[in-house]
Amino acid sequence: MTIENKDIEAFIRLFEHSDWNELRLEVDGLQMVLSNDPAAKAIVETGAEMPHPAAIASQPAPAPASSAAPVATLASAAPAENTDGLIAIRAPNLGTFYRSPNPGEASYVEIGQEIGADSEVCLIEVMKLFTPVRAGVSGRIARICVQDGSMVEFDAPLFYVEPGAE
Amino acid sequence: MSISRVFIANRGEIAVRIIRACRAAGVECVLGVSAADQNGLGAELADRAVVLGPAPARDSYLNLPLIVHAAAATGCDALHPGYGFLSECAELAALCEENEINFIGPRPETIDLLGDKLQAREQAKQAGLARVPGSAALAGADAARAAAAEIGYPVVMKASAGGGGRGMFVARDPGSIERSFKRASTEALASFGDGTLYMEAYVENARHVEVQVMGDGAGKVVHFGARDCSVQRRYQKVVEEAPATALTPRAHAQVLEQALALAGHLNYRNAGTVEFLYDLARDALYFIEVNARIQVEHPVSEEISGADLVRRQIEIAAGDGLDISQSEIKLTGHAIECRINAEDPAKKFRPSPGRITTWRPPEVEGVRLDSHCREGDLVPPYYDSLIGKLIVRGKDRLSTITRMGKALQDFEIGGIASNIPLQRKIMAHPDFAANTFNTRWLEMTLLPQFENAEG
Repeated sequence: MTIENKDIEAFIRLFEHSDWNELRLEVDGLQMVLSNDPAAKAIVETGAEMPHPAAIASQPAPAPASSAAPVATLASAAPAENTDGLIAIRAPNLGTFYRSPNPGEASYVEIGQEIGADSEVCLIEVMKLFTPVRAGVSGRIARICVQDGSMVEFDAPLFYVEPGAE
Repeated sequence: MSISRVFIANRGEIAVRIIRACRAAGVECVLGVSAADQNGLGAELADRAVVLGPAPARDSYLNLPLIVHAAAATGCDALHPGYGFLSECAELAALCEENEINFIGPRPETIDLLGDKLQAREQAKQAGLARVPGSAALAGADAARAAAAEIGYPVVMKASAGGGGRGMFVARDPGSIERSFKRASTEALASFGDGTLYMEAYVENARHVEVQVMGDGAGKVVHFGARDCSVQRRYQKVVEEAPATALTPRAHAQVLEQALALAGHLNYRNAGTVEFLYDLARDALYFIEVNARIQVEHPVSEEISGADLVRRQIEIAAGDGLDISQSEIKLTGHAIECRINAEDPAKKFRPSPGRITTWRPPEVEGVRLDSHCREGDLVPPYYDSLIGKLIVRGKDRLSTITRMGKALQDFEIGGIASNIPLQRKIMAHPDFAANTFNTRWLEMTLLPQFENAEG
């Protein structure tokens, strides 16, 4: 399934004429978030900063270009991004990355969230054995590098953390 | 059933060998590597490489769930385990089956059965093979002394969960039983997690002979000739050759026949090796064990048969069967393989990991090099020391030895020590040329000479 610009425009029209507060759509790695709340947070999987999704009228296409980029699942495929001053939380082994403790539950962490070194940030699953990953560093989650449910290799960056000012 | 993508659960030269077989069979391959191997030749050649975990094998190549997870997550419908690591782990074969991944090897039950050396001996007996006089499982040193009295000294104690020469200790008299038993059972427990020992008569003047077999798992079994692997150090093979020319014609026919009988009895699936001791004094063959995997030395059988054994493994696992009859397998000429190890024979075979600064393989006709090493590569310290296999083919044994001698002379490796100087000495030795050596010759005759010359 491919999403074209006209499809996005149709979603925006649909949203504008609805009484919904928020619309989140995820198709084949493309994520779109439409919201009436100027403070709404988009899920930014690629680590790239997404334009603010608020005020849809002035943003006909809420950043599909940046969020539709293939989600980086491999260490080597991580987008070239500025990680100066950020500390990576890396995969302890190959496995499947899960952001929440159970399907449908809230994610362990979101962008902007303060974490301690002992905070659990995700699960890595190997043959149905789910192992929580601890941050190992305290600070604020700055980026989430991997899409929920995708395979990560050993040592791949999962999150980038802005270390706490201590 | 068919295969479109193979997961390779191994490293080093055999990973590269399996990649080439996948190319030949027209299937994709994904290589699971440790962090130490992610820049290696295998990772470069494979269609895709995924980093399983850190360098230590228990966190990467020996981590069974991790490997099956990686195979499934990368969309592989088959898995080749290579040799060593998890290649003879029945649980891996079973877990693959449960996850609809074709295990390129024997059925899990067969691996289980043959992994227990006492059960394998029982199977050999049922198939009518001659065995070295031996015991059942030994309860302790007293039982060992009683068994030895019956079998006759010298005896060798072996781990029933073992194989490949580990956990083996020789006792020459009742006084040394206690010590040998303790050492063997301690090593067996440490290496295999099971200290159960059994005993066999120790055949001092013997050749190690083995037969490459292959079965389709539906009753058809063929052999690709016999190999002689009698040049050994600490029960580890150093030089292998095919065919096995030290056997009398009668014994040669018998070894092939017996290997097929056992493979047939087991309704063997995929590639395996039936190993024998050939008692030179008595002109008698004894079954030792079956290795339920492709072996390091398979290339010498390929060179005399023209077969691509690893490709055939993939085809059997894909359900294509074994579309060759015994009469179509023509064995011609002679082939020798020298294992090239990153170890220093002048320094008690100390491993020599490090950066390969020079890597100049010989350019001699009839030479094949199975290796994952390139100039500039790092030989990591975490795994075994095999850095390549130099394989030479010729029309007969003597011309092949000469050719191997030339190839070894031209093989230049710098930056790390290798056992090439020792291999040159073996090829140049009159006993090797005369074919009058046994499994103890390298340690008893050649190595003392080598050490004197080097010292």
